[in-house]
Amino acid sequence: MTVAARFEIEYLQYLDPNGQLVADLPPHAPSGEEVLALFRQMLFLRTFDGKAVALQRTGKLGTYAPCLGHEATQVAIGAAMRPEDVFAPSYREYGAQIMRGVQLREILMYWGGDERGNDYANEPARHDFPWCVPIATQCLHAAGAALAFKLRGEKRVAVTCCGDGGSSKTDTYAAINSAGAYALPFVQCIINNGWAISVPRSAQTGAQTLAQKGLAGGLYCLQVDGNDLFASLEGMRRAMERARNGEGGTVIEFLTYRLHDHTTADDARRYRDEAEVKDAWTRDPMTRLRSWLVAKGLWDEAREREWVAECTRRVDEEINAYLETRTQPPETMFDYLYADPPPDILEQRAQLLALEGRA
Amino acid sequence: MGDKKTFHLPDLGEGLPDATIVEWYVKEGDTVRLDDNLVSMETAKAVVEVPSPVSGKVLRLAGGAGDVIVTGAMLAEFEIDPSQPQRAEGQDTGHHHGAPKGPGSADAGGDDRVVASSDGGAIEATAEAPPEDKSEAGGERADSGTVVGAMQASDTVHREAAVAVGGVKAMPAVRAMARKLGVDLARVRGSGADGVVTMADVKRAATEGTATAQPGAPARTASSPAPAPAGAPRERTAVSASGKPMRTSPPSVSASGQPEQLKGVRRNMARVMADAHAKVVPTTLVDDADIHAWQPGNDLTVRLVRAICAAARAVPALNAWFDGDNLSRTLHPHVDIGIAVDTPEGLFVPALRNADLLDAGAIRESINRLREQVQDRSIPASELGGYTISLSNFGMFAGRYATPVVVPPCVAIVGAGRGRHEMVPVVGGFEPRRILPISLTFDHRACTGGEAARFLKALLDDLALPS
Amino acid sequence: MKTTANPAPAAAGDAATARPITLIEAVTQALAWEMRHDESVVVLGEDVGVNGGVFRATAGLQQEFGPMRVLDTPLDETTIAGLTVGMAATGMKPVAEAQFDGFVYPMLDHVICHAARFRYRTRGRLTCPMVLRVPWGGGIRAPEHHSEANEALFTNVPGLRVVMPSSPARAYGLLLAAIREPDPVIYFEPKRIYRQYKEVVPDDGEALPLDVCYVLRDGSDVTIVTWGAQVKEALEAADQLAAEGISAEVIDVATLKPLDFATIAESVAKTGRCVIVHEAPRTAGFGAEIAARLAEQSMFDLVAPVERVAGYDTHMPLFRLEMKYMPATARVVEAARRTLAQS
Repeated sequence: MTVAARFEIEYLQYLDPNGQLVADLPPHAPSGEEVLALFRQMLFLRTFDGKAVALQRTGKLGTYAPCLGHEATQVAIGAAMRPEDVFAPSYREYGAQIMRGVQLREILMYWGGDERGNDYANEPARHDFPWCVPIATQCLHAAGAALAFKLRGEKRVAVTCCGDGGSSKTDTYAAINSAGAYALPFVQCIINNGWAISVPRSAQTGAQTLAQKGLAGGLYCLQVDGNDLFASLEGMRRAMERARNGEGGTVIEFLTYRLHDHTTADDARRYRDEAEVKDAWTRDPMTRLRSWLVAKGLWDEAREREWVAECTRRVDEEINAYLETRTQPPETMFDYLYADPPPDILEQRAQLLALEGRA
Repeated sequence: MGDKKTFHLPDLGEGLPDATIVEWYVKEGDTVRLDDNLVSMETAKAVVEVPSPVSGKVLRLAGGAGDVIVTGAMLAEFEIDPSQPQRAEGQDTGHHHGAPKGPGSADAGGDDRVVASSDGGAIEATAEAPPEDKSEAGGERADSGTVVGAMQASDTVHREAAVAVGGVKAMPAVRAMARKLGVDLARVRGSGADGVVTMADVKRAATEGTATAQPGAPARTASSPAPAPAGAPRERTAVSASGKPMRTSPPSVSASGQPEQLKGVRRNMARVMADAHAKVVPTTLVDDADIHAWQPGNDLTVRLVRAICAAARAVPALNAWFDGDNLSRTLHPHVDIGIAVDTPEGLFVPALRNADLLDAGAIRESINRLREQVQDRSIPASELGGYTISLSNFGMFAGRYATPVVVPPCVAIVGAGRGRHEMVPVVGGFEPRRILPISLTFDHRACTGGEAARFLKALLDDLALPS
Repeated sequence: MKTTANPAPAAAGDAATARPITLIEAVTQALAWEMRHDESVVVLGEDVGVNGGVFRATAGLQQEFGPMRVLDTPLDETTIAGLTVGMAATGMKPVAEAQFDGFVYPMLDHVICHAARFRYRTRGRLTCPMVLRVPWGGGIRAPEHHSEANEALFTNVPGLRVVMPSSPARAYGLLLAAIREPDPVIYFEPKRIYRQYKEVVPDDGEALPLDVCYVLRDGSDVTIVTWGAQVKEALEAADQLAAEGISAEVIDVATLKPLDFATIAESVAKTGRCVIVHEAPRTAGFGAEIAARLAEQSMFDLVAPVERVAGYDTHMPLFRLEMKYMPATARVVEAARRTLAQS
């Protein structure tokens, strides 16, 4: 038999759920202190996420998509990117976004029904794409950004995320294909958390891994344990290096688990077993990393309490800032439609103002 | 001593009207911190942990385990600890929907931090039915039923009212079906309560091919606006409540009242007369019969029957059938007279067979029998046709002369108007005479004027006889 | 496979006493009835199977009919649309669900290029009996892209039917009609009124007529024409106007395409005034079509200019300002008053 092509998909895991190293850490692995900083970032994220859910439950926030369980994946993505890169998220990757300067109040404003949430004030997030609801359309946008970088000869990378559900989307295939056809500085993160609302990963595709979808575009494909910070960081490191060196795009599949419902309005009990969720908690990214840090003498209960208190303080500050933000006046719904508002828009704006005056 | 704050139960899952207390994590008098677990609440959707909205002391709790709290009702009261950080008041996103608010029920006017929405603002106790009433909807109902957002949900049962347009009452769906099937609602008899036209009525009308809407004509025929759909019917007025002249239907639409679909005899009459009109060439002669010589006891109808028989003997041409297609005529040896009988249902014309063979008594008997049979509808269809000439005694009511209609295949019809007295000139002066106006219409395709005139003369002569 | 003129005897649940149900439950009821009586009907979409749909429109269906008739699809609208067209052209009657109006755009390719054209371009050899159910419109304080009113995109496409119910009874009857229709139907479900109130809807398999308007309220001073969720505002406006002595006729268009203009024309011939209400943005919204036909055919019946109460020509804002965008009852009342001020 003559083989036309042969493929294999590498899987990375360094830290097992119990915090034990199952493989030697890779050469470029972060130092203990660096890991600690990232762990604190993960804890901050989890604190915020929990508070956001509480806000929704107390009627202060609209529907919110929690990221419980995705902390290692998201922080690794954020850590691997440079300021000059561009991030095209879906609607759940706050961990990466916060590291790029998105403010908690902006996240809350968005889910709180105010477009200004999308207007990221800080760099580098300021040149990132905003949250994206139409599934996986952001992947093609990232490919477009990568194409712009290539055309202009810039050493910048476009990074995008979609879920296991999103990996079924035409846009994802198109992004992968374009990235391959143009050899783009493109990183497609497929965050496989097991569920697309109620549809399990097994129903999305007949492919053995989601990572191998990149093969169809000729990209480098990698699967990592998304709950292992080390594996996630190493996967991202390789992808970013390739992209920056002009070696083309990568698809990384992060294996993790959606510990919460799809959104605060969903109820996962309808379609998935509580036992499965309980089991997933044993693979929680925080637990294993905490164990590793504690074993290394870099962390303890007292420091955690102190840090959590500090996180709470910072998060509450942001929450108050959000709660105190006044709603935009209604006529602003006509603003930012065009650079130059045409007459009939101005007319309708005036009509609304007149209505408001009477109301 | 800090301020008091009342914490109302928020909507825990977008549209949930209430929740049940599973377990309190605090008791009255306890100190709590912002976002500490306050209580575990159960909805049909899930068990939800509700955090404390303040840091402070718990003053009052709304109930115990198992109690149902309505969304928006008081869940707990706190005394705020001013030394502890608190959450800003902020706005409620309205991600809950209590009873729909009426228009203009905006919140806290003037506070521009309040959500600019008629649905937003402070949570209120809902006016919805108590939980027991909702069990009928099954397990689905308390589920938020959406994966995003907040949907207004209500168990109020709504009934759409029949709309009365053009005087015809029907549910909107029935009206729509009528239009779809090309059925003129105005011509369908409603079998529902209060004359409402039902879906079955419309479908039946469509299958039977009755009540077809005229193409191009509007489906309604009422010229006045119909009464309001619900409640007491409104009087027709010339101006609307706002003082505007009430619009009427365009000129192409006719009549008022409630047109009915013609059935049975009337229907038949309409068809038959139209057919007659299309074929027959009618000519009418009129004259008066001088019946002053009649002795008492003369039965008018019997005399008319006898006179017709006499005239038919004299001029057989008018006791015939004419076939306009084949241009043939059939002179009959016998005289069967179609006697026009008026009933509330319509015009019946039973045949008095062999009138020329019957004596006065038999004629009267037969006519009575025919009338009875018509009245109780026992008359066989075969006896409602096949006559050779007809008689219409409309004069029982009013009218002198007429142009009664000849119905093919007959060629003649005799009409008798209302008897009267007239001063007739005689030798030596005037005399009052009883006069019976007679009209004879004949089909000029089949008979000549001469024949008709001679027939009429014979008729009048016979009528003039004393008995 | 094909349904017969006299469908199979009712399943056990059909003869159950009718209970009051919401619009979304009416959708479920219709789907279940038709699936019991026509095995060529299948349901597909994201989360429609195990989860019963994100709005519970298909709740219980997979339990009753199994995963070969109620299919959870991979997450891709192009996939759903394409598969639906393929199935429809091969003897099935797929009822596909777009999870939200805002996600329907990738489906346009298959709907417009194929579903709307199969019969036409094969001279009837191939047809496409499909229904695409789309939760439609705003007013549920949803995140972005979940509140679109994009019916006007479809009404301009030859070969499609566009239907939008406004009550549980009409949702049931019109959906049955849509599924039985041999041509593609885009069936918009106004999500704002999914659970607005309940109505008794007998589960008798009786379809309601497509291609005709539904006159919901008789009136003589002004005609209010609308569809979908705004029927609520129109009826509220009519109540308010009645208190002022103004008698408003309310017409629910129900089938936007093909449009039963005759009913509207008749009404306007009676009232002389027309207010068209729709949530979708004003410019080139479907109200423009109705206004144009009024100008063409009812010019001499009109005693006042036609009014359109529509969404502004901007994107539906996020939920804080959502209700400022939607045509409120007050705007409808004002528009009606304006028509009366003219004469």
